[in-house]
Amino acid sequence: MPKCTIDGKEIEVAPGTNVLQAALAHGIHIQHFCWHPDLPVDGNCRTCMIEVEKMPKLQIACNTVISEGMVVHTKSPKATEAQRTALEFLLINHPIDCPVCDQAGECYLQDNYMRYGLYGSKVEVEDKVRKRKVVDLGPIMLDAERCVLCSRCLRFEKEVTGTNSLEFVNRGDHVSIATFENRPITHDYAGNLADVCPVGALLSHDFRFKMRVWFLKAHESVCPGCSTGCNVFVDERDGEVERVRPRRNADVNKSWMCDPGRALYKQIGVTGRVSGARVRGAAGWEGVSVGAALDRVASAVKEAGGASAFLASPQGTNEDVFAFKALAEAVGGKLDFRVGDPQKKVRERIDHVLQRADRNPNTQGCLDQGVGRDGVATVLDACRGGKVKALVLQGPEILRVPEAVDAVARVPFVAVMATHEGPELDRATVVLPAALWAEAEGTFTNYQRRVQRLKAAVPAPGDARPRWELAAGLLQRLGKPLGAATPREVFALVVKATPDYASLDYRAVGAQGRALPSSEGAAPVQEARA
Amino acid sequence: MAASVVTVNRDQRAGVLPILKGHWITLGNFFRSLFLRQASTIEFPEKKRNVSSRYRGIHVLTEREDGTPKCVACFMCATVCPAECIYIESGERPEKTIEKYPTRFEIDLLRCVYCGFCVDACPEEAIIMSRENDLVGTTRAELIIDRDRLMARGKLVEHGPGYRPVDHDVRRPVRIAALERLKTEHGIVPGMPKKRG
Repeated sequence: MPKCTIDGKEIEVAPGTNVLQAALAHGIHIQHFCWHPDLPVDGNCRTCMIEVEKMPKLQIACNTVISEGMVVHTKSPKATEAQRTALEFLLINHPIDCPVCDQAGECYLQDNYMRYGLYGSKVEVEDKVRKRKVVDLGPIMLDAERCVLCSRCLRFEKEVTGTNSLEFVNRGDHVSIATFENRPITHDYAGNLADVCPVGALLSHDFRFKMRVWFLKAHESVCPGCSTGCNVFVDERDGEVERVRPRRNADVNKSWMCDPGRALYKQIGVTGRVSGARVRGAAGWEGVSVGAALDRVASAVKEAGGASAFLASPQGTNEDVFAFKALAEAVGGKLDFRVGDPQKKVRERIDHVLQRADRNPNTQGCLDQGVGRDGVATVLDACRGGKVKALVLQGPEILRVPEAVDAVARVPFVAVMATHEGPELDRATVVLPAALWAEAEGTFTNYQRRVQRLKAAVPAPGDARPRWELAAGLLQRLGKPLGAATPREVFALVVKATPDYASLDYRAVGAQGRALPSSEGAAPVQEARA
Repeated sequence: MAASVVTVNRDQRAGVLPILKGHWITLGNFFRSLFLRQASTIEFPEKKRNVSSRYRGIHVLTEREDGTPKCVACFMCATVCPAECIYIESGERPEKTIEKYPTRFEIDLLRCVYCGFCVDACPEEAIIMSRENDLVGTTRAELIIDRDRLMARGKLVEHGPGYRPVDHDVRRPVRIAALERLKTEHGIVPGMPKKRG
C-alpha cells in the first residue's frame, strides 16, 4: 500500500490508484473534465495539473499513479497558474450561453471557473469560433459550441455500449463532435451521454428546458424497471418528479442506467392514478374510504378462509411482500407470485450492458421470502375449479394476462391493490389505491441478491398508501396485527423471518445496498460489464 | 443602578389659548390650499407624484425589435426572488442563437415585495421596473399579471421606466469582487480584458 502526501495530508492508497482518485476520495478537489470514474483515463483536457516534488515538470493528476513517498502539491503557485491557464484555453470558444443552457447548475465549466478561473476573458464573444448548435440526435441534443472536447462521450460509446456513434471531426479550433450524417443515437443508453458530458454539449431531449436543476431535490432510490436494480436519484420539485438519473454504485450499475428506466418517472404523478378505494356495488363502482374497503376485503377473506388465494407482486418491496405473506398465512389461503420460471429469468440479460429479461425489481426478494409456494398455475386452476372464494392481488398484472382472465372471472370476490387506472381493474370487486416505488420507503433485492433501499421522494396521490400498509390494515381487521408501524420495523420482521437476511437493517443496507451470498452459496454475482 | 425619575406636573390647567392657536394653524392651511393652491398633498388619482427615475414600481418585460420578449427564460429572477412571486415556463424558439423563451411568465404582484432583485439578476435586461405604483384590482387573480400584460405595459410609457440596470455590463461588480478575491487570497493579478477597436 503506497503512502503519499497530497497538500500536506498523508494518504495511503491501493496500488495503482492515481492522484486524482486519491485526492477526490480524501476531500481534496482538483479540477478535471475528461476523467470519469467509470471510463478509461484519457488525459486530454490537461486541467488537473499538479506539482510533484522531484519531478521536473507538472503532471496531470488523472494519469499519475501514486508511488511510495510521493509528495504532491495541488495548490502551489505553479500548479494553480497551470490549472487556470488550461481552463482559459477550454473557455476560449465557449459561447457562455449559460442562461439558456440546461447544464447550468451542474456544469463543470461553471464550477471550475468559480473555483480555479476567475480571470477576465481575453476573447470577445463575437470573435469566437462558431459551431453547430441545436442538433437533434434523437434522445440527445448536441451543441458543438459548448463542447470542451473531453471525449467522455466517445469513450462511453466505445467502452460501454460498443456502438461508436460519436466521433471528432475537423481540425484545430474547428474540432467538434458529430455522428455520421447526423444520424440519431439509437441505443438504449443515450441518456448517459448527457450525464457524462461535463458541460452542456450533450443534453437530454426529454429534460430540455423543463427545469433549472438547482430547483430540484434529489432522493436516493432504486430503479424498478428490471431485476438489475440500478441505483438512481429521483429529482423532484414541489412533489413533482422531473427526472430520474443514475446514482453511482460500482457493484451494480456503475454510473449508468438505461433509457427505459429513465422514462419511468413519467408514471409517477397524479394522472391516471388510482387515488381512492372503490367497491363494486349493485349499481356499478362506488367510491368508499380505504378503511371501508379494507373492512369489506377482511370480511370476505375471513369468510373464505382456506378457500382464499393470494398473489403477491414482484413489483412490491420486501416489506410489501412480507406483510402480504403474513396476511396469506393468517387466513390460511394459497400464496404465490406472478412470474412463471423466475429463478432463471431474474439473471437473464437482454443486452450486454444493464437490462435484464425480468422486468420486475423484486423477484429475488419474493423468492428469498418463500412467496413462490403453491405455484401460480395451481392457484389459477383452483380458481377455474371454483375452489377459490376470495382472491387478493398485490398488483393488477395478472388481470392483464389473457390466460388468467377466465380463471379470475370464476372467483366471486377479487380485491386488487393498484397504482394506475386501467380496463383490467373492471375485473375486480374491490380496488385499493397503492403507492408507487417513488412514493414509499422499502427495499428491493436485485438479481445479485443485493438488498437495496428506496426512499420516498414524493407523496402518494390522494388516499394511496404503501401496499404493506394495506396488508397491515387487513391483518388488523382479522385480529392478527402485523406488529410494525413503519417500513423500518417491517424490515426488521423480514430479517427475523428470512435466515439469509440476518444481521441486516436499514443502516446496514445503507445507500449502496448490501450483497448477500447467492442462493447457490457462491460469492455475490457481479457480471455488470458497464 | 439608580433609575432616573422624571416628575410630570399633571396639575397644569388646560389652556384655551393653545387650542385656539391650533385651530388658527388648521384654518390657515385650509384657506391656503383652498385659495392659493399651496397644499402639501396632491389629488391622487387625477394627479400623480413625480417619483425618482430609479423608482421600483410594477415590472415591465422588454422586447426585441421584432416584438418578441427579450427574456430567455433563464429563471435567474425566479431564483433570486425572495417572495417567490415569479412563475416561468419555458419553450423553444426557432432561432438557434436564442433557443429559449418564456411561454408563460407570471408575477404575483400581491406577493411581490418590489425589491428589484429580479432586475439585478437578469442577464438580458429583459425585466425592468416602471414608475407605475397604483395597483388596483377587484380580485386577487387579476393582480397576477401574465407575459402579455407585462410586455404590453412596456408601451404605456406614461409613467416612464423605473429601476433598471444603468451600466449595461451587469456582471461588472461581480467580476470586480472576484478579481479582488483572487488578488487578496491567491496573490494573482490576471490580465484585464483588452478593449478592441
